[in-house]
Amino acid sequence: MRFDLNVDQQTFATVLGQMLQGAAFAPVEGWGRYDLGTALEAQFDAGGFFDAAAEPDLGPVAAALMVHDVAGVPVCFELAASALIRPFLGRDVPRPLAVRVDGQPGALRYLPQARGIVEIGETVRYADLPDGAAQPVDSLYAYPMGELTDPEALDWQTLDADPAKLRALWQVATAAELTGVLRAGLDAVLAHVRDRRQFGQPLGAFQGVQHRLANAAVEIEGARLMMLRAAQRQAPGDAALALGRAQEITNAITYDLHQFMGAMGLTLEHPLHRWTYRAKLLKAEMGGMGAAYLSYATDRWGAP
Amino acid sequence: MDFDWTEEDAAYRARIRDFLARTLPANWDEIARHGPGSPEQTEFSLTFCPKLADEGLLVPHWPADWGGADRPPWEHFILGEEMWRAGEPRGAQYMNVNWIGPVLMRYGSDAQKAQYIPPMAEGRAIWCQGFSEPNAGSDLASLRTRAIRDGADYVINGQKIWTSYAGLASTCFLLAQTGGADGGRAGIAIFLVPMDTPGIEVRAIPSLIGHGDIHEVFFTDVRVPATARLGAEGEGWTIISYALANERVGIPRYEMGAATLDTMVAELQARGQFSDSIVRSRAAQAAAACEAARLQVYRVVDGRSRGQAPGTESNLARVAVVGAERAVADFGMDFLPDAFSGSGHDALLSHHERAIVTGIAAGATEIQLNLVARQHLNLPKGA
Ligand SMILES: Cc1cc2nc3c(=O)[nH]c(=O)nc-3n(C[C@H](O)[C@H](O)[C@H](O)COP(=O)(O)OP(=O)(O)OC[C@H]3O[C@@H](n4cnc5c(N)ncnc54)[C@H](O)[C@@H]3O)c2cc1C
Repeated sequence: MRFDLNVDQQTFATVLGQMLQGAAFAPVEGWGRYDLGTALEAQFDAGGFFDAAAEPDLGPVAAALMVHDVAGVPVCFELAASALIRPFLGRDVPRPLAVRVDGQPGALRYLPQARGIVEIGETVRYADLPDGAAQPVDSLYAYPMGELTDPEALDWQTLDADPAKLRALWQVATAAELTGVLRAGLDAVLAHVRDRRQFGQPLGAFQGVQHRLANAAVEIEGARLMMLRAAQRQAPGDAALALGRAQEITNAITYDLHQFMGAMGLTLEHPLHRWTYRAKLLKAEMGGMGAAYLSYATDRWGAP
Repeated sequence: MDFDWTEEDAAYRARIRDFLARTLPANWDEIARHGPGSPEQTEFSLTFCPKLADEGLLVPHWPADWGGADRPPWEHFILGEEMWRAGEPRGAQYMNVNWIGPVLMRYGSDAQKAQYIPPMAEGRAIWCQGFSEPNAGSDLASLRTRAIRDGADYVINGQKIWTSYAGLASTCFLLAQTGGADGGRAGIAIFLVPMDTPGIEVRAIPSLIGHGDIHEVFFTDVRVPATARLGAEGEGWTIISYALANERVGIPRYEMGAATLDTMVAELQARGQFSDSIVRSRAAQAAAACEAARLQVYRVVDGRSRGQAPGTESNLARVAVVGAERAVADFGMDFLPDAFSGSGHDALLSHHERAIVTGIAAGATEIQLNLVARQHLNLPKGA
C-alpha cells in the first residue's frame, strides 16, 4: 500500500502540469459553451501523451491522472478514450475516438471530431468514422456533441478485446474526468470566495460556506482515490464503485459550486460552466450512479 | 502507487484473523454487543489482551525496550483493522497501545515509565481519558478542573464528563489547569491519577451507546504527588497534540462498517430480500462510502509510514469516516428494522452503537470541517 508516484510518473505529472498552465480561459464567440483546445491537443500528440497508459512505468494510473488533470483546464479535447481505451483495443485505431456503451441512444461527446468509434457491449466493436458519418448537435453540455447519421451503415469490426476490462477502463476514464472537473470547479470557487467580500468579510470566512466546500473537498478526494485504485486494478468491482461514487457526489457539489459563485457563475464570461456542465453529462454516463452501484452489488455480493 | 497489500501484510492479517478465530469465545458477539466501554467488554479485555501480548500481537509497533518488536506503522494499522472488524476485543486497551504508551515513552519520567508501561505491554492496564468537562467539549482548552500545587503535592478539584471506561479504569490521563481557572492552553498540565485516590467519584451515565460506557468523574480535593504530573506545567497541550495527532484515524471504523454491511447483506439474502434494485444499490452506496473513507485513512497511514508529519489529510479522513459509518447504519435501519428490536442480531446492534457516536466522540465533525476549510482549503478566518 503506497500512495506516492514512481519517478517516471512524477516527471510525467510535472511536465503535464507545465503544459496545462498555457491553457487559459477565453469566452467563445456566439454563446459557445466549450473551447476546443486544438493547440494543446497537438502538443499532446507530438509528446506521445496519448500513449502513456501503454508505457510500463506510467501505465493506467498515470493515464488516469492525466485525464483528471486535463479535465481541470477550461479548454477541452478528446482525451479520456484516447488515453484509457485506445491503448487496450489490440489494434491501432485513429483518434479522436468516441465511445458508446450498450448501444446508448442520443448524442455522444466529441463525435463531431472523432475519426473512430468504439462500442462496448457484449463484445467490443470498432468502426472508422468517414466524413459525414456524424453530425454536430446543439447541447447544454460543455462538450462538442454529435450524433451518428446512420450507425448501421458503419463498417463495424469486432475486436479481440475483453469487454469487461474495457468497460472497467471506461468507468475509470469517466470517473477520472468527473473528479477532475469537480476538483477544478471547486478550485475556481475557492479562489472566488477567498477574494469576494460581502458583509465586510470574504465569503469564504462564513462557516456556512466553509463547511459545504470542506465537505466537497472530502468527497472529491475520496472519489479520486477510488478512481486511482480502480485504474491500478482495472477490475469491474473497483471501477463500478469508483464511478458510482463520483456520480453520486456530483449533484450536490455542482449546485454548491454555482451557489457560492453567485450570478457571475451563471455567465459564459466565467469558466465555471466549463466544469459543471461537463460534470452534468459525466454523472449520467453508462447509466449513472444507479447502474454503477447495481453492477458493483453483483460483483461483490453475487447476482440477484 | 500501489493499492494492494504486500504478501507479508496479507500473511500478517491472516495470522491475526486466525488468532481471533481461535481465541474469541463463542459468545463474543454477545459480549461486544454491550458496547466498547461496557464492564463486560472491559473485563473481557483483561483476559484477552494478555493472550494477545503472549502472541506478540498487543504492542508489536512499540520499541523492543518496552515489550514491542519495532514493527512498522502499517502492521500496527492492520492489527487495528482486524481488531475493530471483530468488535474491538481489546476494549479500552486500544488507547494504551495507540497513544498512551507511546506518550509515556516520550514524555514520562523514568519512574512513570517503569510503573505504567510494563502493565500496558502485558495487557493488564485500563486507562481512562479525562479531558472533556461539562463546559469544555469542542472548546477543550477552556477546561476548568484545577490542580493547585501544595508542597510536594497537587490538589485537584473539578469535574470531567463523557469519560469512557472510567468505571473500571485503574488510571486516569487527566487534563487540569495548574494556574487560574482561565489559563487556556498555556495553563494545562497532564496528571496520571490512580482512580482509587480518595476524593474521586465516578457515576455512569445512561446512554444510547452501551452499558456503562460513559461517565461523570468528580474530583474533590484529590491529592496526588507532584511526580504524578506528566511533563512540565503548561506542557499539557503540546503533549496531547502530539499524542492525538495520529488518533484522528486511530480507529479504523470503516472496517467494521464494511464487515457489518456484509453481515446485513447476508441476512437480507437469507430472507430472499436482496434482489430488489433499490436495496442493492443502497448497499453499494454504503460500500462506496466505506471505501472513500478507507482510502483517505490509508493515505494518512502511508504518510506516517514514511515519517511525514501528520497533515490535513487526517481531517479529511475523519470526515469521510463519519459518512461511512452513517451510510452503513442507515442501510441497516432502512432495510432490517426488526434487527434492532429483540435479540439475535448482536453484530448489528454492536455496530449501531459504535456508529452513532462517530461524528461526536474524539471531536465533532464540524471541528474537522473547520480545520479542512481553514488549513486544507486556505479559507480565511471569520470576523
Ligand atoms: C461515546 C463517547 C465517548 C467519549 N469518551 C470521552 C472520553 O473518554 N474522554 C473525554 O474526555 N471525552 C470523551 N468524549 C467527549 C467528546 O470528546 C466530546 O463529546 C466532543 O469533544 C464534543 O464535545 P461536546 O459533546 O461537549 O459538544 P459541544 O462542544 O457542546 O458541541 C456540540 C455540537 O456543536 C457543534 N459545534 C461545536 N463547536 C463548533 C464550532 N466551532 N463550529 C461549528 N460547530 C460546532 C458540533 O456539531 C458539536 O457536535 C466522549 C464522547 C462520546 C460521544
